[in-house]
Amino acid sequence: MVTTTPNATHNWPAAHTSSQRAWRVGLNVAVGVVAALSLIPFIYLLVRASDKPFSEISALLLRTKTLEVLTTTALLVTCVVVITLTLGVAIASGLHFVALPFRRLLIIPTVLPLAIPSYVFTYTWVALIPSFSGFAAAVFILSLSTIPYIILATLAGLRSVDGSQIEVARSLGLNYRQTFTRVIWPQIKGHVSAGALLVGLYTMSDFGAVSLLNVETLTVTIQNMYRASYDRSAAAVISFVLIAFSILFVFGDEAIKRRSAKGQIVKTFSVKNSLIRKNYLRVSITAVILIFTIIAVIIPFYVLFSRFFSNPVPIDYTDLARATFATISVAAVGALIALLLSAPIGLLLSGKMTKFGQISNKIIVIGHALPGVVVGLALVSVGSKLGPLYQTTLLLAFAYALLFLAKSVISMSSSLARVPSGVKDVAATLGMNPWSVVRKVIAPIAAPGIGVGTILVFLTAMKELPATLMLRPTGFETLATNIWSAGSINRFNEAAPYALILVLVAAIPTFLISRPDHDDRAYIDNSAGGDK
Amino acid sequence: MPTESDTPLKLSKKKIALAAAALTFLGLITGCSSSDEQASDVTELTIYSGRSEEYIAPFFAQWEAQSGIKLNIRYGDSAELSAQILEEGSNSPADLFLSQDAGSLGAIADAGLFMALPADVAAQIPANYVAANRNWVGITARTRVFAYSPDRLKTLPISVTDLTKPEYKNQIGIAPTNASFQAFLTAMIQSKGRDFAKSWLEGIKANGPKIYLKNSAIVEAIDKGEINIGLVNHYYVWEVSESLGRPVKAKIGFFAPGDVGNLINVSGAGVLATSKKQKAAQDLINYFTSATTQQKFVTDTHEYSLFVGAAAPTDLPALDKVGAPSVDLAILKEVKTTQELLIEVGLL
Repeated sequence: MVTTTPNATHNWPAAHTSSQRAWRVGLNVAVGVVAALSLIPFIYLLVRASDKPFSEISALLLRTKTLEVLTTTALLVTCVVVITLTLGVAIASGLHFVALPFRRLLIIPTVLPLAIPSYVFTYTWVALIPSFSGFAAAVFILSLSTIPYIILATLAGLRSVDGSQIEVARSLGLNYRQTFTRVIWPQIKGHVSAGALLVGLYTMSDFGAVSLLNVETLTVTIQNMYRASYDRSAAAVISFVLIAFSILFVFGDEAIKRRSAKGQIVKTFSVKNSLIRKNYLRVSITAVILIFTIIAVIIPFYVLFSRFFSNPVPIDYTDLARATFATISVAAVGALIALLLSAPIGLLLSGKMTKFGQISNKIIVIGHALPGVVVGLALVSVGSKLGPLYQTTLLLAFAYALLFLAKSVISMSSSLARVPSGVKDVAATLGMNPWSVVRKVIAPIAAPGIGVGTILVFLTAMKELPATLMLRPTGFETLATNIWSAGSINRFNEAAPYALILVLVAAIPTFLISRPDHDDRAYIDNSAGGDK
Repeated sequence: MPTESDTPLKLSKKKIALAAAALTFLGLITGCSSSDEQASDVTELTIYSGRSEEYIAPFFAQWEAQSGIKLNIRYGDSAELSAQILEEGSNSPADLFLSQDAGSLGAIADAGLFMALPADVAAQIPANYVAANRNWVGITARTRVFAYSPDRLKTLPISVTDLTKPEYKNQIGIAPTNASFQAFLTAMIQSKGRDFAKSWLEGIKANGPKIYLKNSAIVEAIDKGEINIGLVNHYYVWEVSESLGRPVKAKIGFFAPGDVGNLINVSGAGVLATSKKQKAAQDLINYFTSATTQQKFVTDTHEYSLFVGAAAPTDLPALDKVGAPSVDLAILKEVKTTQELLIEVGLL
């Protein structure tokens, strides 16, 4: 979660030994370093924007175009968030509560769109329908590619709802709808809101889909200003509009969480509900998932495969293998760096909630809305002064870590928040030093969630384009840069092999994330028929 | 959150160790790539190429074979790459910048990042295609034209200013972020004044143009029937036909002689002042401006040679017959004014 829930705001044990004090100081210093690193793009933007006299800045901000683009962005984000929320929560609830056929397998296709970069998604649909373009098309593509965030978030929320409350609500005569709105929704809306935050930030920072579909959002304007190169300060000014817009989102999410957190009970997982067997629900939910699977998974995969096999240009397999290896290795290093960078802030947030921790957390999350080109140029500016480090895969991996740090931090802090404070206290009273507590107590409990966060960074980094173009070593090609350099829909056939491999490789970690947890499985297996 | 789905995912110590090893390895291979050789034993050159890989790569390959020097080529958009060089400043790893247009070259020359080339480099290129202080030289010429659909466009425009007329409403395609469009607009501003250019742009904007990222996308859009006319460089109709493997449903048209819409621009190159391999980079420029390579450009990429009296590409008038406006290429670097105007009008 972006902010931890109050039930996680327990102190480290009161007995302050010197090692614990040193630990806290060290943790805060580490968090400070990470926050400073995440501030690089903001500082870069400030420096660039301050090149412009104030009169020009205000003229730029107040021109009609800025308002038009802001409106387009706001509308797009609203549409995408509303659609993904409605569909995502419905699908996730269906998967969680309803006895669907092949229930365990059905979750996989609903998460699989995560493996498809938005520009590849767009290419496949344009290949199918040449006139596919404009605002509605952008809403369609971005909704399909971001629904998985809501589905995963909702499922995580639903799994932490105490089953006994549902039993009580049902026995008091509440119907399914009432049970959902009064008992379940208040408990999961914090999770759902965090998912919506990710969807919103993703939509704001997307460039591939919107530019191909001719929709001008703030990110497209910023990118265009940079493409037109010499007025980097104007692009910086517009970036601040985007930042302001994303701050709105971050605080909205926080407000929802603050309210939803009240009265939340520490989950016990004591009671498992049996699955709903109403036929109309089973049929309609299955139908929704099937349709979703067809348009968001089967069609893109079909187009990719058919383009792959009809490709007249001979495929350079060494080149393909090299690009695949490059993509995987740099994204993996990026994910590892993100993991390392998010560890201190996650640990800090899982302990006592401090202002410093909250502010650092917000900086990181807000930075998530910045387009890749902004982070890319900021690192070109800083990186070119670093001599041999510039245009190395290491700096590129670091850029990935910085770009997607929010994903890792969010999962880290929410996983660590689930470690019961009592366990930490007992371990400390037994004389374990903080580091051993982390290693022997916290890490084993939080590991699965942290793993998922790291995989999400890995997954997104593999698909990243704008920062990759700027920061990669000269001559270094990833799958994404190869897809992009084919450059136009008419040459999509040439890009198809790269796109197909990218999607297939990305499908593996996506599959890992989508697997339902063990608890859930055990309970499905134990649920003994019986309509409710 | 997605992250709370309790996936059984265990990172074993072995895997972490493996990843750490991979990290070290990546650091090592990339750390080795920088070196500073003596001019005599140059083995590698770093090129920032604004010209797209598909058509320029064979030229690079030929020179690599001839010289025995390996080229590390960073492909990108000319304007983006010049932005990157400006951002890198004196720390730029580039030795040579090959650009699609004179504007991007001029911007880098203005920032003082190019060296002055000796007189024996590109000696046969006429002076009007070389920067006054020899900071950069032209390599090939391209003319601005309009591409149109012969089936759907009823009246051909006489002047580029005709495009603001209602009869072209919702039929025009432009690429305002593209360097070649900006170069044309710069020429308009410099020759006809800012106010003229501004009202022309506003007229175009009011005429419901479709905005594209690149010239080729405009030609493809004409072929698909999305638009009927677009402002592009002359070789894109040929290029798109090549990539489609069939004749494209678009033709090239020139405006009346002297119209600013017929601007001749050059692709060109400059050597970075900070390069430690300037001699080798100059050799590469000499290769591009040699008689054989110039002829190769005409036949292989459908561009104009800059040599006086050179043959034109197939189906095109000779360079001195296209009716180009008399514009000094040096002014094309004034692209900042152009971009400010595009931002002001709201096309950027």
